[in-house]
Amino acid sequence: MELLDHLILGFSTALQPGNLLFCLIGVLIGTAIGVLPGIGPIPTVALLLPFTFGLEPSSAMIMLAGIFYGAQYGGSTTAILVNVPGETSSVVTCIDGHEMAKRGRAGPALAIAAISSFFAGTVATVVIVLLSLPLSALALKFTAVEYFSLLVLGLIAAVVLAHGSIAKSLAMVLLGLLMGLVGIDVNSGASRMTFGVPSLSDGLDFVPVAMGLFGLGEIIANLERTTTRVVVKQSIRDLIPSWADLKAAFPAMVRGTAIGSILGVLPGGGAALPPFTAYAIEKKLARDPSRFGKGAIEGVAGPEAANNAGAQTSFIPLLTLGIPANALMALMIGALMMQGIQPGPQVMAEQPALVWGLIASMWTGNLMLLIINLPLVGIWVSMLKIPYRLLFPAIVLFCCIGTYGISNSIFNVWVMLVCAGVGYFFIKVGVEPAPLLLGLVLGPQLEENFRRAMLLSDGDVTVFLRHPISAVLLAIVAVLMLALLSPTLFRKRKQALSE
Amino acid sequence: MSVRKVDLHDVLFGGFLILVAAGALIATRKLSVGTAANMGPGYMPLAISLGLMAFGVFFTGRGLFRPFRGIEPVQLRPLLAIITSVAVFALLAERLGLVIAALATVIIAGFGGREHRFVESVIFAVILTGCAVLLFVRGLSLPIPVWPW
Repeated sequence: MELLDHLILGFSTALQPGNLLFCLIGVLIGTAIGVLPGIGPIPTVALLLPFTFGLEPSSAMIMLAGIFYGAQYGGSTTAILVNVPGETSSVVTCIDGHEMAKRGRAGPALAIAAISSFFAGTVATVVIVLLSLPLSALALKFTAVEYFSLLVLGLIAAVVLAHGSIAKSLAMVLLGLLMGLVGIDVNSGASRMTFGVPSLSDGLDFVPVAMGLFGLGEIIANLERTTTRVVVKQSIRDLIPSWADLKAAFPAMVRGTAIGSILGVLPGGGAALPPFTAYAIEKKLARDPSRFGKGAIEGVAGPEAANNAGAQTSFIPLLTLGIPANALMALMIGALMMQGIQPGPQVMAEQPALVWGLIASMWTGNLMLLIINLPLVGIWVSMLKIPYRLLFPAIVLFCCIGTYGISNSIFNVWVMLVCAGVGYFFIKVGVEPAPLLLGLVLGPQLEENFRRAMLLSDGDVTVFLRHPISAVLLAIVAVLMLALLSPTLFRKRKQALSE
Repeated sequence: MSVRKVDLHDVLFGGFLILVAAGALIATRKLSVGTAANMGPGYMPLAISLGLMAFGVFFTGRGLFRPFRGIEPVQLRPLLAIITSVAVFALLAERLGLVIAALATVIIAGFGGREHRFVESVIFAVILTGCAVLLFVRGLSLPIPVWPW
């Protein structure tokens, strides 16, 4: 059994004491930033990225991945107890989770959220195992033509599934692509848009861009709002849910896991889509939909399962094709490249210990999270007492030092500063910055593959339609675009995203 | 046309795109474009800038004919505090070392908050700077000067 060998290799890597420790560090940091509103996994991973340089590749990836799915657990704690989403992915958990807490059922709500996440995490790990091999086998047949089409599909899907205006998201992708062109052109050696700055010749680093857009821009916008946080004050008991609660939540858990797993694989699925969809479906399927919004346990189980499943399956395109499904995966690609590993289908064959170790670590990490989140929930709740006026200067400082640390360059700090201003501007005019980051990371690959494909076909664009795999991928792009233009679907999407 | 009649979200974003696209076109005007079969370094920048320009014109045009939508008023205090604190870090870190840069960054950033307490902010800055030195310089051996001397 080839699969079994891979799993044994994976667990033997993930269970090494060092890797277990980094997994624990990752999930602890993840839970902490998940609990704290106002700081998300993207700036955190960007911040820690430079310091993973000295680690083993597998330890680095295991830790960074732990931050991402750990944040999904932590976010729900804040959502339930404070009615403020710790993360975007836990927005819907606020609705019924906080309602349960107000009715004195904070314990069962927290327990169901953690158990749903754990269940989803376990299933999603299996899904990754099952899908990875066939997908990477398929990907090995890819040439520049197929890669280009796949990248286009990824970018378009990211646009379709992002929140907000599609036209604006498309424009943001283009903006990201343009920023990705900065630097010396590998084919001709000509410098493009470097404005004579030597630090730009290697291109714009995406870490300062990500920290500026997502970290600092967000802080400035947060400071403009007056927020009051009211933590539900009650002793949290009944952390072991009753049989009736479990029975009510289980079908929702299963459905949420399925929805999250599918939406997570899609490029651009983002953090908010899986839980929103899961919530909408639970409400539709419920015998008595009026219970939703008043503390329905399915309204916690479904979305919580969906966000954790989605967080994990979004690793599939990264591991098998080297393509990031969301902005955070774009950072993971950066982490791989810093370790000298070129992401792509060959990684599975060349670095089996890394890939399978990472996959296996997701299960061990989820197990740790279950323990960290349930018995120790009190510690996380006390973290919520740290006032934002102390938190944000600390984030600013760590962003500065972290950005400097990537390549010991002050220039990157200036890049971050500019991006902070731009990020604030984007928030003001209501544009979602995630597609830009995706464009920035995929831009160089997109250009490289496009130029290679055109060179091979002698400038004939129909080459993209003559290769069967590429034609199928572009057909999906066409269907997506057409679906967007259809008015009924357009309305449904708007409804789904605004619900 | 008065500002009261336009969709400021669209107009501002559109204007921003036009500016960026124009800047990119000017910056890459000397690069050879080449042909589709053999693209020069200027091919992609040109194609993408033109696309961006089209989007910019579209949003600006659409915004001018849409009903009014304003933007939340810009509050200068948080914006200036964060921007200044990062700029100060960039200016001081390599010249005067991490300790002074970090203290200044945390204290200046602190002014961005509504409920700013100066003494608390200074005490917190000292603690935070200590942690940063221990974590980044001692722990992760980041090559950055710690003191001015």
